[in-house]
Amino acid sequence: MKKKLMAMILGLVVIFALTACGGGDSGTSGDSGSKELNIFMWSDYISDETIADFEKETGIKVNLSYMNDNADSVNKLTAGAGDEYDLIMTCDAYMESLINGGYLEELDLSQIPNSENINKAYWTEQNQKFCVPYLMNYIYVVYDKERCPIEITCYNDLIKPEMKGQLGSIDGARNLFPIALIALGYDPNSKEESEIAEAYEWLKKYNANVVAYGSTETNIVNGTISAMLTYDGNTAEAMAAMGDNNTLTVAPFKKDPVQLGFDLYVIPKGAKHMDAAYAFLNYITDAEVMAKNLVENPYSCPNDAAVAAASEEYRNDPAFDFDYKENIFFQEDVGDAIKIYDKYYQKLKVDTGE
Amino acid sequence: MTASKGRAKGTNRLPLLAQAGPVSLWMILFVTIPMLFIIFISFMTRGTFGGVEYTPSLESYQTMMEVTYFHIIVKSLGVAAETTIACLIVGYPFAYYIARKPPATASRLITLLMIPFWTNSLMRLNAWMLIFQTNGPVNNFMLNTHMIDKPITFIFTDGLVLLGLITNYLPFAVLPMYSSIEKLEKPILEASADLGATPGVTLLKVTLPLTFPGIFSAIILTFIPALGTYVITDMLGGGKVLYIGNIIKNQFGTIRNWPLGAALSVLLLVITALMIFIYSRFAKVEDMEVV
Amino acid sequence: MAAAERLNRKQKRERRRKIPWTIFAALVYSSFYIPVLVMIMFSFNDAKRNYSWMGFTTKWYPKLFSFGNHDLWESLAYSLIIAVVVTVISVIIGVLGGIGLKKFEFRGKKFINMMLFVPIVVPEIVLAVSMLIIFMIAGFKLGLGTIVIGHCTFCIPYAVIIIKGRITGDNETLQEASMDLGANRLQTFLKVTIPSIMPGIMSAAFLSFTLSIDDVMISNMLAGASQSTLPVLILSVNRTGITPDINALTTVMVIVMIFGMIVMNILQRIHNKREARMLAESDERIRAARLAAEEY
Repeated sequence: MKKKLMAMILGLVVIFALTACGGGDSGTSGDSGSKELNIFMWSDYISDETIADFEKETGIKVNLSYMNDNADSVNKLTAGAGDEYDLIMTCDAYMESLINGGYLEELDLSQIPNSENINKAYWTEQNQKFCVPYLMNYIYVVYDKERCPIEITCYNDLIKPEMKGQLGSIDGARNLFPIALIALGYDPNSKEESEIAEAYEWLKKYNANVVAYGSTETNIVNGTISAMLTYDGNTAEAMAAMGDNNTLTVAPFKKDPVQLGFDLYVIPKGAKHMDAAYAFLNYITDAEVMAKNLVENPYSCPNDAAVAAASEEYRNDPAFDFDYKENIFFQEDVGDAIKIYDKYYQKLKVDTGE
Repeated sequence: MTASKGRAKGTNRLPLLAQAGPVSLWMILFVTIPMLFIIFISFMTRGTFGGVEYTPSLESYQTMMEVTYFHIIVKSLGVAAETTIACLIVGYPFAYYIARKPPATASRLITLLMIPFWTNSLMRLNAWMLIFQTNGPVNNFMLNTHMIDKPITFIFTDGLVLLGLITNYLPFAVLPMYSSIEKLEKPILEASADLGATPGVTLLKVTLPLTFPGIFSAIILTFIPALGTYVITDMLGGGKVLYIGNIIKNQFGTIRNWPLGAALSVLLLVITALMIFIYSRFAKVEDMEVV
Repeated sequence: MAAAERLNRKQKRERRRKIPWTIFAALVYSSFYIPVLVMIMFSFNDAKRNYSWMGFTTKWYPKLFSFGNHDLWESLAYSLIIAVVVTVISVIIGVLGGIGLKKFEFRGKKFINMMLFVPIVVPEIVLAVSMLIIFMIAGFKLGLGTIVIGHCTFCIPYAVIIIKGRITGDNETLQEASMDLGANRLQTFLKVTIPSIMPGIMSAAFLSFTLSIDDVMISNMLAGASQSTLPVLILSVNRTGITPDINALTTVMVIVMIFGMIVMNILQRIHNKREARMLAESDERIRAARLAAEEY
């Protein structure tokens, strides 16, 4: 009797364990090419319709999962969980290290004929071997003409005492330190500890003015902040939400360059559905497909043919209405100096309370 | 597994294996081994892209000794303590109120307490933000009634973080206290009253001591999670109000210093062990086991 | 007449004494329900994202049930499946473990007791990362299975602690009595032990379900490529602003759960009535047996 009880209990446990683990198994790929595609990327960054159309056209089931931070994808790629995914989104700043570390599959561009559409100015020769740019973001300053106490024309305006309690900002060491370095007249991708330390002092003043990091568009629309360091796509969302009462304007920078960042797709080493990944990359670089995708995701786009095919509304979006589009800088891979950045970024975050 | 090798009182080890076996196995596989690994990692060197280089180093512990970290730790302990005290002050009478109701009503009241927790905590935190934001109902009401003439920034302040923490952890304080109050025998309380004790005296001398295991359990279930949380502090604090949980999370996220994150976690373990040790000086450990 | 009046006055006093208590309870409940109501309200918000209130609309509900946003539905399904499986595993292991750890002395028991505190104690992120590393070394495929293991790891300790707290000296007396009366271990376990700790089992199940369905961090770290839970989805959407269809979904969930609770309650009541009748019968039998024994 006792034995029966135990057998019963053990059986139950085993059954649950099996159902639990069995649920985790995903369908195996058929002979005639992969039937599924696992993508890891930002949420709300590709239109549902685009995905649905791709699934309809190719019969490949797309599984999307989402990151919360650029570090997530780097963590996944470097920790070897990469083979869970067939496509991972990352940004230009990490490319060099990811390539050198051997975490990526080399691309065969002949399988992505539509990649012709991408402006080569935004796609270095080395990167062409390993990634396909998806969308890009200007990181600039936007303020509310009516509520912001001062007119902002350079980064140094952001640390003026008048801006206390007015500022919202995106977060991340490699988004914040470059603007400080520029404000101080240094290379935005500096590897010098002394310069980064100075930038840290600058950012302490910046930090004192910031109300909150992240959710910038929410906070500017609901009136918590009156100026923000943010992405162009988020600005487009905020401006659209304010509709006819839009009082937001892109800060007319004269001298300081703004950051242009790219979100790229890479194929992690050992991906299981390479053919599906190629199919997707070719699909998403198609001019018409991307133009349609831009309606819901109004970010800047390195795909020239898609921009040409995009809606009037997209091309006339006030979020892209600024004169200094050529005055840009890129986030470069700083190699081991990332530890210096992280150290001071951590210090900045910890000092906040004082 | 090693645990199950022990000898039961009698000769028959089957019930012991069947009952204590699964939990022991689970805890060893998914708690002991991973935790040992985390302690191990805390003595290693950080990799450039997160992860770990297996070179022994005390760097993380040296970083932790810096004064700014000490401030954060003290601040976090303070907020966790405030949350716990608030949860006890509100939770105990509330648990008492429920426990004194007839069982059917009590179970309905407990259910009523749990229902909001089936909506996602992020959605509830988001709702607090909507209520308190600059053009939200609270500010609008105060503006319209001329209590203020300029909106107040409630969100992204320590106060709202505390509100978020309290409303999030209160049920975890109420439930154990409710269980222990509910177990109280009514005759004991009646005897106390019969012997001439006022309700206040009964509460202090009888009810509180007898329900102490429940109270201590409530402290554990609120203080420690409040000390380690980061989602609430992140959302309501706007990434500016940082506590130890946020620092640890950042080590595994944006800052990518796993060994430091591991070392800070070890610190939390030590703090907790200390708490339980202090408890053991005041009360029997068996009482704590009943938690 | 005077006595009746006195009684009446006493009742009135009693009722007056209860008023502050009722107000207090109402306040506590409102602190839980106001955010829920606001959350529901914003499911009727006529805006693309819930930055602030823009006007009333019901359009999000038809949109939700057109299943266009299949990410949302899929993650909800995963959340529910995970929560149910986690609850069942946690309660089974919790009941066995709670009893086992209470009843038996064995080498390493102190250690296991200590280990039970660890998942409650360490920040979730640490538990998550430590398990992630272990899973990767062991070659586990990340997915529903790993999330279930992750959730169980912090639900089991709660279950064990709650159930251990339920077992008192009375239970052992009862168990001994049951064995003395000729019941075997299994019968005792099912007919005496389980019913006597039923409230504990219920609250353990409650807590496990709640913890699992609300968990963000462990799900986030241990989710595989294709399966993420609803909270993980909400966390990533929150970065750009919650969309009202998520509010609509959460609203529907609350309504379904309340409905489920009511059904459960009714079933419970029917069950209780039957139980009470059976208990009365068995009491009768015990009394008869005792009488017989005394006579003998």
